[in-house]
Amino acid sequence: MIDEIRFTLNNSEVAITCDPLKRLLDVLREDFGLFGTKEACGEGECGACSVLMNGRLITTCMVPVGAVKGKEIMTIEGLRETERGKTIIEAFADGGAVQCGFCIPGMVVAAESLLSRNAKPTEDEIRLGIAGNLCRCTGYDLIVESIKLASERGEGLW
Amino acid sequence: MQQTSIGRSTRRVDAIAKASGHTQYIADYTFDGMIYAKMVRSTVPRGKILDISIPVLPSGYSFISAKDIPEGGKNQLHMIKTDYTCFADGEVRFIGETIGLVVGPDRGVLQDLVDQVKVTYEEGEYAVTIEDGLACKGGAFVGEDNCFCDFTINKGDVDEIFAGSDRVFEEEINTGWQEHVHLETNGAIAMPEGDKFVIHVSAQCPFYVRKSIASLINRPYEDIIVRQSVTGGAFGGKEHFPDVLAGPLLVAAYVTGKPVQLIFDRHEDSAYSVKRHPSRTRFRTAVDKDGNITAMDVDVVYNAGGYESCSYVVLQRGVFHATGVYNIPNSRVRGRAVATNTFPSDAFRGFGAPQTLFAVETHLAHIATQLGIDPFELKKRHFLKKGDVTVTNGHIYETVVLPEMAQQVLDESGYLEKAKTYAPGSLRGVGISFYNHGGAFTGNGEQMIIKARVRLRKNSDDTVDILIGSTEMGQGFQTALTKIVADELGIGLERVRYPQPDTSVVSDSGPTVASRSTMIVGAIAQRSAARLREQWVEGKELVVEEEYTHPEGFPWDQSTFQGDAYIGYGWGACVIEVEVDPLTTEVNTKGIWSSHDVGLAIDELIVHGQINGGIAQSLGYAAMEKLDFSAKTGFKQTGLSDYIIPTSMDFPSQVCTLVDNPYEFGPHGAKGMGELVFNGASAAYIDAVSRAIGKEIRSIPVPPEILMEMM
Amino acid sequence: MVETSYIPQTLEEALRIRKETGAKPLAGGTDLMVMHRRGTGVVPSFPWPVMIISSLEELKYIRREGDDIVIGSGTTCHAIEDDPSVPYAVRTAASLMGAESLRNLATIGGNVCNASPKADLPVPLIMMDAKVTLVSATGSRTLLLDEFITGPKETDLKDDELLLEVRIPLPEKDYSHVWYRKIGTRKANAISKLSLSAAVTLDADGFIKDFRSANGASGPKVARSTEVEKILEGKNVTEIPSVLEQFLDAYDAILSPHAMPTYRRLSTRRMLAHFLTEVASGTQNMIVT
Repeated sequence: MIDEIRFTLNNSEVAITCDPLKRLLDVLREDFGLFGTKEACGEGECGACSVLMNGRLITTCMVPVGAVKGKEIMTIEGLRETERGKTIIEAFADGGAVQCGFCIPGMVVAAESLLSRNAKPTEDEIRLGIAGNLCRCTGYDLIVESIKLASERGEGLW
Repeated sequence: MQQTSIGRSTRRVDAIAKASGHTQYIADYTFDGMIYAKMVRSTVPRGKILDISIPVLPSGYSFISAKDIPEGGKNQLHMIKTDYTCFADGEVRFIGETIGLVVGPDRGVLQDLVDQVKVTYEEGEYAVTIEDGLACKGGAFVGEDNCFCDFTINKGDVDEIFAGSDRVFEEEINTGWQEHVHLETNGAIAMPEGDKFVIHVSAQCPFYVRKSIASLINRPYEDIIVRQSVTGGAFGGKEHFPDVLAGPLLVAAYVTGKPVQLIFDRHEDSAYSVKRHPSRTRFRTAVDKDGNITAMDVDVVYNAGGYESCSYVVLQRGVFHATGVYNIPNSRVRGRAVATNTFPSDAFRGFGAPQTLFAVETHLAHIATQLGIDPFELKKRHFLKKGDVTVTNGHIYETVVLPEMAQQVLDESGYLEKAKTYAPGSLRGVGISFYNHGGAFTGNGEQMIIKARVRLRKNSDDTVDILIGSTEMGQGFQTALTKIVADELGIGLERVRYPQPDTSVVSDSGPTVASRSTMIVGAIAQRSAARLREQWVEGKELVVEEEYTHPEGFPWDQSTFQGDAYIGYGWGACVIEVEVDPLTTEVNTKGIWSSHDVGLAIDELIVHGQINGGIAQSLGYAAMEKLDFSAKTGFKQTGLSDYIIPTSMDFPSQVCTLVDNPYEFGPHGAKGMGELVFNGASAAYIDAVSRAIGKEIRSIPVPPEILMEMM
Repeated sequence: MVETSYIPQTLEEALRIRKETGAKPLAGGTDLMVMHRRGTGVVPSFPWPVMIISSLEELKYIRREGDDIVIGSGTTCHAIEDDPSVPYAVRTAASLMGAESLRNLATIGGNVCNASPKADLPVPLIMMDAKVTLVSATGSRTLLLDEFITGPKETDLKDDELLLEVRIPLPEKDYSHVWYRKIGTRKANAISKLSLSAAVTLDADGFIKDFRSANGASGPKVARSTEVEKILEGKNVTEIPSVLEQFLDAYDAILSPHAMPTYRRLSTRRMLAHFLTEVASGTQNMIVT
């Protein structure tokens, strides 16, 4: 079936006419050119394709675009324009969180999801908050530190 | 003059673009008229291809295989050895071997077509394990003994010592496959450009790719232009393996005249890519009545899989690290790489050293326990020091600061107290390991084989471009080298650019492997920058190029493997503490302490990140990353839901220390470190778990179900 | 083009589509989208028509009805783990399912209807005698979840039915002690290697009024035996040590793990022994760890 699906993408109303079973990941990357959302596993295990749906963290490789009808989607491209997003990105850069970088946009989205629920997370809470985002380069320590740094620098933002 | 950035932590030059999602990786590239490729692969471990039946192809779709290699072209991929075929032709040696590509505009149609290709085989009996390979199960397919290589190195007289020794300890240690799991899967795009071809590829070694594939279409290297895309992790998995994509794609671009893209999905990247060599290391170790090791006889076998590619070189490094960081007066090490019908094993962070280092550390821990002394006591007695003779009868030229490093991790971890307090089998344990990694290519490889060159171009706006083939793959080299060059020139980092390598533009600084980039390429770049500074004229364009010079006085004979295998080593010490759950035997890691000698850190934060990541990968190797053969799918675990790598919850945050021990020939005293940091944590972890359960562990990985069966 | 997917806006519409086309529901997508994926840029291919029901707000609720906690089939694991009215073992199982991003999508209906032997939620649900209510355009029926799941990846869902809700009967009196533990392939974001839920209700004199336990990932479906549970019922906690081995042996006999049999059997045995030994020791903790 071909259907027109309307949703909010990075604060803009958008519509796409396509098979509702098409993966949201493919729609974001190929139809909207939002390449910051990465594919690394295609089975919801790694978090590289994370975005926010109505403010909640989801992996877009498991979501048919038909399921986002009427929803609000925020990708890294939207998040990086916000004060919160900028704060996290800067903290990641300063804290040494970025190596190969492939998992990082998804990690930034996961950090936003965490901080929006818990502005001052402990180390354990941060580790739990990013447990669905696999990284093979960093061993996570500097990502955890960088999220702590974002939380400190972004006092009042969340 | 501005303050130097060397040593201090700097914001990485690539960090913001990557974190904000601006950076384009290979899967984000599109070109006009680009078509897609999907691989048709072998589905049996060993057999003769009797027939390949292709469905009727719609217009715009083609099947590319060995038949499409033009006259004069060779169906081979040059990966140190040239035995790896580009397209299986006649026989297949493992599941997942490339038979052909189906190419065309729609990926859904391509998937349907691939599903309809029928290959008929005459199947043969196949070998999976090292034992299968050595027994020539199904008949040898390499030489007469299935060994790609077999060599022995001697130091002193082992046989004499064994004849008169007080005690001999014999043991066999095994390690399994490991998958790289770079988060970005393998991917490449081949396309014509003028009368040449361009390969855009996620890879460590653009010049390797060019060299590997040019002969497929019988062209000189220069006709193949390789442009490295930003590479989302590699760990050795993108050293030679990108050739397996680039080769067939080049033929496809040659035939179709179009840009052809191939991006592996995770299932393909897991099931059908190279792995770390499984290993079997057997020791006979003689100990005198004072508890000193007097001789070691070591037999190392690596499972190389279906093709040799770089296994001989991997094995050499394994053999040269087989007696660890210890001065063993007499040693004999035999190494063999055996052919089996599994996906070829290839480079993986550590390049053969992690297997033997794990083995020797584990073996020494067991000897110590049987002697009734702490493993640390036994190990420190034999620490290598400056002037000592190495396993290849070369020398240690640098000051070895292992005693200080040991003290650091002992103090931080409380090792000695804990080792006494936690009784064997008490479900609490602490373990310790020491390790090293020889920097750069083995022996005189830098001088004889690589001959690295570095080119710097000063532009008229007084900015400087670093034009070399060395690559950033996450390890931080782009930033480290920018710092070295900017520092030498006395200009700000923002005035130095280090673009993605393009083989038609940059000089060949050698492959980005072997922990050689900072140590070797960094030193040449520093020298180049010094020369550029001397010639500096504002507003004028200048180019300088320098090449590698080998320090005098480090003899090496590549035919006998005698002499100085490495000039400088990185060194490491690691302590791990664990608790084993009494109900489920799940292991909880309670502490990770490490100390590393990397000469001098060009950037402390980058080194810190490498240590964290290397240790996490090494712990995954020991604890959870189980990869089994499957006669149906090649490997049983083919995705991230069943091949288990660590999450943020699996290991606690690490305590890392660095010692300053500047290396004479490195830039600012820096040595290699990317692989070193992988080489030792697995042994410390297994030592800790062994003590916690009160049983000797001789094989990794050890998920809880295996521990429970041991207990 | 053949109609292969639908996005109903109401339950009524969904039931009509279900009846007319046999379209199968797709809720969070976390199992089905992965199972039927065909790679990057290719629409997943389902061998049957599909209806995306994730936007049916009518199916998203957690409420108390009499002595039952009723959870609408479209409720996500995240909503379940966040709701204190949901019994501990169910809440905990929901909280340990995959990663947060998965729990924000995955629904109780999907987890139950997918009927994977490794599924997390059915374990505490079956332990608690949860029932499922199935609706069709023509009516509804309610049956035990343990009966609804008939085998690995098999349920009794009829071609015109949808799962409406899961109904958890609350015990008359709160369990005295309860256990839930999942052994994953790693410490987070993991598939179950084994899970065990158990609960006991004691009277004032320490007699076991009710005992129940269920295992996941240890056989083709959730393992539970009320016969075996009877071994403990009526016994005083002081008698636990004397019947423990008999009970553990009987419980072991209901497990039929396909892989890792030693690990799954022995871990189950140890966890149950630990739980019961804690109970016998007179622990005051309701949640035993």
